[in-house]
Amino acid sequence: MSRTYISRHPLDDLLPLEPGIRAVDHLDIPRSSAIVSVMAMDGEEASVTAGLAASGVVSIRFTGPGELLAVSQSETPESLHRNLSLLLAETAYIVDQSDGRVVFRLSGPNVRRLLAKGIATDLHPAMFEIGASSNVLCGHISVNLARTGENEFELIVMRSFAVALFDDLKVMGREFDLSAGFSVRV
Amino acid sequence: MASLIHCPHCGVRPKEEFSIRGDASLVRPDPEASDEAWNDYVHIRSNPRGRYREHWQHGAGCRRWLVVERDTFTHEVFSVTDAAIVKREGSR
Ligand SMILES: [Zn+2]
Repeated sequence: MSRTYISRHPLDDLLPLEPGIRAVDHLDIPRSSAIVSVMAMDGEEASVTAGLAASGVVSIRFTGPGELLAVSQSETPESLHRNLSLLLAETAYIVDQSDGRVVFRLSGPNVRRLLAKGIATDLHPAMFEIGASSNVLCGHISVNLARTGENEFELIVMRSFAVALFDDLKVMGREFDLSAGFSVRV
Repeated sequence: MASLIHCPHCGVRPKEEFSIRGDASLVRPDPEASDEAWNDYVHIRSNPRGRYREHWQHGAGCRRWLVVERDTFTHEVFSVTDAAIVKREGSR
């Protein structure tokens, strides 16, 4: 018997299908993202970072020494995996994580105060610059946090923690009237 | 306990991001060593008041094993080094 698997977002039942009223502080959740992990071979860390930076098409998130996440909103998981596997064939191992991770995008004037409720790391604009990224603990959940704009942050979390992190972020954002919804498809 | 650890890869982090796995100065005995030597290695630990070297894993961050040298009495942290580097440089 053949079975058709349907791709479901873990927050499908928790978010309205239609975008609601957007507050100044907003949590935007892309329905799908292409994410691969990149692990540099021994001694190739610098050339992998340089190669990815030169390719310019993906956004790079630091997870550990020699380990990165590459994220793309425009490519499909298959094409991202194929392109990076070709680009870094001799220097890194590429593994698709797209179905295993969920991306949260926080934006608004109060996001630092919101995140400070769960994250102990210093997120002052001078300390955590645009483009910076790192794995941090948010409450009890390990997330990859990146600063993507002046007052914009992206959190990448394991799929199985997405609902718990969503609940936490809603509570953390209640005093700022945080709104939440899936990204509007372009 | 030392509450802020300066991870060489991630910067200053709260201790909640780490798991502590104990004494980093133990040396694994020879497989043929006596039962007493193995018993000491597996079960017997000192509980020093003062300077201590421990294995810490940055589980919620870079996931690397680190060697943290700290003072159990004053909570001062003297050094944090990636365990791979400690191993490469030989036992200090
Ligand atoms: Zn670390």
